[in-house]
Amino acid sequence: MARSATVAVPEDASTATGAGRRTQRRSEQLAGMAFVAPAVIVIVGLGIFPAAWATLLALQKWNGFSEPRFVGADNFERMSRDTDLVAAAWHTLLYTGLFMPVSVVGGLLLAAALNRRIRFMGLYRTAIFVPYVASAAVTGLLANFVFNPEVGVVNNVFRVLGLPQQGWLEDPSQAMVVLVIMSLWGQLGFVTVIYLAALQDVDTACLEAAEVDGASASQRFRHITVPQVAPATAFVVIWQTIQCIQLFDLVYTTTRGGPIGATTTLVYYLWEQAFRQLSFGYGSAIAWVLFVVTMVMTLVLVAIQRRRGGEQPA
Amino acid sequence: MSHTPTSPSRRSVIPRGRRWVAGLAVAVAGSLLLAACGESTTGGPATDLEKASPDDKVTLTWWTGQDDSSEVYIDKLVDQFEAEHPNVTIKATPGSATTDDLLGQLSASFAGGTYPDISYAYGSWASELADSGRTLDLTDTIAGDEDVSWDEFSEAARATAAPGGKTIGFPAVVDNLAVVYNKELLADAGLDEPSPDWTWDDFRDYAKAMTGDGVYGTNLSVSGGEDTTWRLWPLLWQNGGEILDDDQTAAAFDSPEGEAALETLRAMAVDDKSVYLDQTDEKYGPLFRENRIGMMVTGPWEIYDTVKAGIDYGVQQLPGTDGDHTTVSGPDLWVLYDHQDANRAYWSYELIAWLTQNDQDAQFNLALGNLPLRSSAVDTPAFATFKEEYPGAEVFVANQENATIPRPTVAGYVGLSSAVGRSVAEVLQGATSVEDALAEAAEKADNALKDAAQ
Repeated sequence: MARSATVAVPEDASTATGAGRRTQRRSEQLAGMAFVAPAVIVIVGLGIFPAAWATLLALQKWNGFSEPRFVGADNFERMSRDTDLVAAAWHTLLYTGLFMPVSVVGGLLLAAALNRRIRFMGLYRTAIFVPYVASAAVTGLLANFVFNPEVGVVNNVFRVLGLPQQGWLEDPSQAMVVLVIMSLWGQLGFVTVIYLAALQDVDTACLEAAEVDGASASQRFRHITVPQVAPATAFVVIWQTIQCIQLFDLVYTTTRGGPIGATTTLVYYLWEQAFRQLSFGYGSAIAWVLFVVTMVMTLVLVAIQRRRGGEQPA
Repeated sequence: MSHTPTSPSRRSVIPRGRRWVAGLAVAVAGSLLLAACGESTTGGPATDLEKASPDDKVTLTWWTGQDDSSEVYIDKLVDQFEAEHPNVTIKATPGSATTDDLLGQLSASFAGGTYPDISYAYGSWASELADSGRTLDLTDTIAGDEDVSWDEFSEAARATAAPGGKTIGFPAVVDNLAVVYNKELLADAGLDEPSPDWTWDDFRDYAKAMTGDGVYGTNLSVSGGEDTTWRLWPLLWQNGGEILDDDQTAAAFDSPEGEAALETLRAMAVDDKSVYLDQTDEKYGPLFRENRIGMMVTGPWEIYDTVKAGIDYGVQQLPGTDGDHTTVSGPDLWVLYDHQDANRAYWSYELIAWLTQNDQDAQFNLALGNLPLRSSAVDTPAFATFKEEYPGAEVFVANQENATIPRPTVAGYVGLSSAVGRSVAEVLQGATSVEDALAEAAEKADNALKDAAQ
C-alpha cells in the first residue's frame, strides 16, 4: 500500500518516499514478526525458559513437594565428592568408547556395500534402516527377550552349540556390551543413510582416474572415498557422541542401571537423582554440567575436523 | 497395587517409550514452568469438615493408581457410592500409567494446582506428601468419629498414614513378607512342610536341599531398590538391630546385628548358591509358577497368580531368630488433599471411610487377592470365602501380628533405602564383604538423612 501511494504522488517523492519506506519497513517487520512469533513462543516457552528455570533449580534444594530452598553452589560441590557420579561417568565413557567407533566404521562399510546397483537393493537398504525407526522401548523389550538368561534366543543357541550359558543383562561385566550391541542394531541404519548420501557426492572422475592408474579397490576406498566423506564423518562422530552421552531410554527399558549399577549412565543417574531420590536441584546441576561437557566436546571435535580437513564440517 | 516404591509386583510397568532428545534439563525445568504459572501458596488453614453442607452438589477427583484390571472394582464401588449419594459425582481414573509414576504426577499437579481430592500413595511417599502442605489433616476428624474404628487397622498401617503425627489419609492396601513354598518340590527333595517355629538355619538347609536341576531353593532381590532393602529388615529386627538411631537422624543398621542379618543372606546366595537373584523383581514370581523356585519370600500379591497357575503351594511365616518371627509390612495409602472446600473435604473423607469398611473392602482388596485392611474382617463371611479361594491367605493375615515395627517414615528414608539396596545387591553377588558394604551404606544413608533434614 505504501508503495502504490509513493508511485501515485510523484511530486511529493522525497518526503513520501522517506515516510513510505519507513511505513513499509515497519509493516514488513510486523509481518515478519507475526510469522516468526509462533516459533519463537514455542522455542522460548519450551526451550529457553525451562533451561533458565533449570539453572535456578540447580542452585536450589527441592524435593518436588515442599518449598524450594536456595543453596548456592552446594549441588555442584556435592558433585565433586559423589563417587557414584564418577562411576556413572566412567560407564558413559565405556559405552561411548565401545559404541562410537564401531557405529562409524560399520556404518561406512555398510553404506559402501549398499552403494551399488544390484537386485533388491531397496529391500536391503530398508532392512538396515527399519531398526532405527523402532523406539527405544521396543529395542529394550527385544533385548530382554533375546538376551534373557533363562529363555532367551542367544542362550538357546549357545546351548545347542555346547557353549557355556551367559548372564548377559544380568551379568555386571556383560550388560554394557549387550547394550552396545542393541544400540548398534538400532543406530547403524542412521549412520548408513548419512554415508549413503555422502557417497553420492564422491567424485567419480577421481575414482576412475585412480582405477586407470592401477589403484586397487581398497586403495581407492581408503585414499579417495574416505577423505571425501570426511564432512559426513565429522557430523556422524559429533552426533553419535551426543547420543552416547544422552543414553537413557535403552537403560531404562532393560537394566534400570543394574546389575550392581554397571549400566548406570550419566543421564540415567541424574534421572534417578531427580525423579526417584527427589533431588531435583542436584539432578538439574548434573544436567547443566552434562550440557557444558557436551558443548565443549562438540566444539573440540569441530575444531579438530577443521584443522585436519580444512573443510567446513556438515 | 504394589507394596514397595520400586517393585512393580502385579502392576505392569512396561514403560511408555521415552526419547531423551534434548536432555533432562528441559524436562526438569518443565515442571518448574508449571510451578511458576500455578498456585504459589500452599493452602491456608486446614479445611474444617464440620463446616460442610453435605447436601450440596460436589465433584471429586480420585487418582486410584490402579491398573485396568483392578480399576474395574473401583468403578463398581464408585457407582454404588454415587447411587447412595446422588449429589456426589466422582471422577475416578488411574492418574498415571504406573503406580510408580503417580508421585511425579502429584508433584506436577501441585505445581499446576490441578491435584486430585484423593490419590493412591506408597507408604514411603507419606512424608513428602505431608510436607507439601496440600494434604488434609484428618487427625481430629478420625478421633471424633467412632464409626471409623481406627484401631482395627494395623499399627504399622496407622503409623504410615500419620507422618509426623498428622493423619493424612487411610490405609489402602496392607501386606507383609512370608514364605510361599511349592509342596511338590518340597516332597521331591524329601522335606517336610515347614512348621511355624522354623529358623533361618532350617530355611538355609531347605533351600540347599531343593537347589539343583534348574531349581533354586529360594529368591532374593538384587535390583538395588526398596524391594532389595526391605528383605533385610526382618532379619535385622529379629537379631535385635534397628534401622535408625533413637533420634531418627542417623543410620544404626551398621551394627553386629546388621552384619549377622546380611551374613545369613550372603551365605545362602554366595556359599550355597541356592538363591535365584532377581535383577528385575519381576521374574521370581513367574519362575516359581514354573516350578523353578522352591520357596518364595514374598507378599500376598503373588497368591492370586499362583492359584491361577494351579501350583500346589503352602504358606508359612518367616523363619525366626531365637523364636522371633518379626516381618516387615508395606502399607499403601489413600491420601486426601485440601482444596479449601469443606464440602469436597467432607465427601472425600466419607468416600474413603466407606471404602475401607469391611463390606466395601471385600469388593476391592479381597476381590483382588489382597489382605483385608481391618482385623475385624476375619470374622466376616466374605473372608471365609476368600480363605477358600486363596489358601494360605489366612497365614498372611495372621502374620500381620508379626509386623510390629513400621519402616521409618522420615524424609531421608528414600536415600537410605537406595544406599542399603545397592550394598545388599553387591554382597549377594559376591562383589564385596558384609562389613564393607554396610559401612558404605551407612555413610551414604547418613548423608541422605542429613540432606533431607536440612
